[in-house]
Amino acid sequence: MSALTGTGHLARLALRRERAIAPWWILLTVSLALTMVAYVNKNMGTYELKLAYLDIIRDNAFLQGLGGRSVEPRLEVLATWRSGGFLYVASAFAAVMSVVRHTRAEEDAGRGELVRSAVVGRHAQLAAALLVAAGSSLLGGLLTAVVLIGIGLEPVGSLAYGAAVAVAGWVFAGVAAVAAQLARNARTATTIGLSVLAVSYVMRYAADASGQDWLRYLSPIGWSHLVRPYQDERWWMLGISALAAAVLAAGAHRLLARRDLGAGLLPERLGRARAPELRGPTSLAWRLHRGLLAKWTAGVAFFALAAAGLSPLGRDLLSRPSLVVDNIRHTLGLPADEMLGAYSWYMILILAYAVALYPVLMTLRLRAEEMSGRAEAVQATAVTRLRWAAGHLVVTGLGTTALMAAAGLVFGTLYSVLVGDLATDLPRFLAGALGAVPAAWCVGALCLLAYAVLPRASAAICWAVWVLTAVLGQVAGPLYGQWGGSPLEPFHYIPNAFAATPVAAGPVLALLAVTALLLGGALLALRRRDFG
Amino acid sequence: MSEAISVTGLVKTFGTTRALDGLDLVVGTGEVHGFLGPNGAGKSTTIRTLLGMLRADAGTARLLGGDPWTEAAELHRRLAYVPGDVTLWPQLSGGEVIDLLGRLRGGLDEHRRAELLERFDLDPRKKSRTYSKGNRQKVALIAALASDVELLILDEPTTGLDPLMEEVFREAVREEQRRGDRTVLLSSHILAEVEELCDRVTIIKDGRTVESGTLAGLRHLTRTSVQADLAAPADGLAGLPGVHELRTEGSRVWFDVDTADLDPVLRHLADLGVRGLVSRPPTLEELFLRHYDRTGGSGGRHAGAGR
Repeated sequence: MSALTGTGHLARLALRRERAIAPWWILLTVSLALTMVAYVNKNMGTYELKLAYLDIIRDNAFLQGLGGRSVEPRLEVLATWRSGGFLYVASAFAAVMSVVRHTRAEEDAGRGELVRSAVVGRHAQLAAALLVAAGSSLLGGLLTAVVLIGIGLEPVGSLAYGAAVAVAGWVFAGVAAVAAQLARNARTATTIGLSVLAVSYVMRYAADASGQDWLRYLSPIGWSHLVRPYQDERWWMLGISALAAAVLAAGAHRLLARRDLGAGLLPERLGRARAPELRGPTSLAWRLHRGLLAKWTAGVAFFALAAAGLSPLGRDLLSRPSLVVDNIRHTLGLPADEMLGAYSWYMILILAYAVALYPVLMTLRLRAEEMSGRAEAVQATAVTRLRWAAGHLVVTGLGTTALMAAAGLVFGTLYSVLVGDLATDLPRFLAGALGAVPAAWCVGALCLLAYAVLPRASAAICWAVWVLTAVLGQVAGPLYGQWGGSPLEPFHYIPNAFAATPVAAGPVLALLAVTALLLGGALLALRRRDFG
Repeated sequence: MSEAISVTGLVKTFGTTRALDGLDLVVGTGEVHGFLGPNGAGKSTTIRTLLGMLRADAGTARLLGGDPWTEAAELHRRLAYVPGDVTLWPQLSGGEVIDLLGRLRGGLDEHRRAELLERFDLDPRKKSRTYSKGNRQKVALIAALASDVELLILDEPTTGLDPLMEEVFREAVREEQRRGDRTVLLSSHILAEVEELCDRVTIIKDGRTVESGTLAGLRHLTRTSVQADLAAPADGLAGLPGVHELRTEGSRVWFDVDTADLDPVLRHLADLGVRGLVSRPPTLEELFLRHYDRTGGSGGRHAGAGR
């Protein structure tokens, strides 16, 4: 029996389990590619518009970071540029998740042991996981190329683009394979893999934003960019990615041979033996959910930085009217002198609709606590059901506020530095961002009511509430020129801090009252129903 | 004797399923009470009703003199609960969970905490996600046993423990018993555990109480196994009332006898001449099996013996 015996069987098992996952990633990759082409066709339909767009890119480091400095006024090049390497990242992300799912997560669940006790070689599981992940990446890249050729893009460049997408997946499948050997559990392995991905992306972005080209060669995501599809197709860069993937895979197999099943090469960090700060439901909720809040804060700050980074663009557009300006202004329906304020408000709205998802997810966590029996353990103590729920609500409410405050603070500060004035702009941005908090609370309160009254259907309802809020809202509709927001969603009533009209307190107070009512109803229902 | 738990005619339905169907349960203060029943009999539903997680549809339930639904939090100050399937917060260490649960209950005996950690051989610094089922159970048990409470509600607390740890658990429960003022409701599958620890037991089936009483009292209702080596052939034995499942092999006989008819049967054996005799009281297992082997029967025999 060789060390690879059973690889075929395990690969089939992994494929069976990927059936519900991999197709979505492949669909995402392909549709992203198509979206980018459609985007360029819609917004930069003519050669003149493309040239104007190139002018904008040349003057803005944030835009240069997005997809690189060498852009040409051609559909293919602009579409790949505009994707910002997102296809590479998606392919890599999917590969990391897939490899960890079929290696370390299997060991965590104890299934790995069951499998390894059968006629299966030591290396079969890892080999099968790598085969499946690499196969999915290849399929994603290939389909992207085929579809792009199908809509009439240049065939050779499309193949190079697809190949660059596939090898990004290969490299990160290798990274995840090594991470799965190092870590003691799937969570840590995923974290290691995704951290490498994040660092790769940031390095590549920094390289393009700053013009330090050599930095791109240090980033695995950069290697895919360096293939330069539709430009000069440097095929040999694909070789570098493939070689790196092979070296990583071989390294993972070497590490695998040196460790026990279930063991990792990095020691599992011990926790603390005592918990002096865990005093009640609120401190417990904070402890449980602070990780999620930290991730959200990082995400919001990142988006706010990018939004602020693009604001010089607005100023430049104002001083140099062009077709693009007319286009954007037409979409937003605004006079030229309110361009910057309108842009900022639009960005804050996007952030606000996104942040509204946070209380929704926190409500789902409440449900998860109930389903797992952990909430029961708390409620079997002197803590009442309402105090248990209140602990989560305090963290959720304050967390939502903190997220919007962070958004306003980061956005406002960088905006002031780049194009504005700290003393007048920062308060305006903060007020604008915090003004959206009651609406986000209201979305969360509605979800809580669903959880309290219809716990079984609450997950579906929660997601539907958020999706409807976002779709009916002031961001999605105008983007496609469809509708100007609906009075049915709470963000319709938040004050626009950038508008000339003074802020009226009435709608906000009404929003708070509705939120309080929903919250009260939810807590009453929660207290009265069966639990668990 | 006052009553720590008193449940009469409890009914709880989930949709069309009747999980509890007029259940009765009485647990006196200071006793260790075994709560037996097959899977799905309604043990956990009863316990979760007593904890105020579920609201009863009919019947009354009193816990430590209070109403488990309306006075849940005040009552919970005086009890500790170990669920059958312990799930913990994966990112917290075992020690943190013990501290948290103890503090939420209103305090924890530091000395006892350290002692129990030692006895159960648990590393409190490990993250809960790395614990096995048995270790998660230990965390919940230590948190419960280290709390200074009047009532312990334990729902199949030893299912994940190895025999060594099971013994540690039994010893800990015996200590509680010796204090005299602590009541323990022990739901269990492990009959040996119940036989060893419990003063009284309640057996339920399909959401109803089928037996309740002291073990001695319950045994009285059932059969004693007898194995005898006789001087003469066992003539007439089969005809005696209360004799069941008689098997003869030469001069040796094996049979079960209803405990109430034990005396005339023994007299008959003595008349035949006894060379050797082994008699065994019914085990809880036999008691248990008698109720659950009986298919279709409503099993509504309520033995009020032993109180």
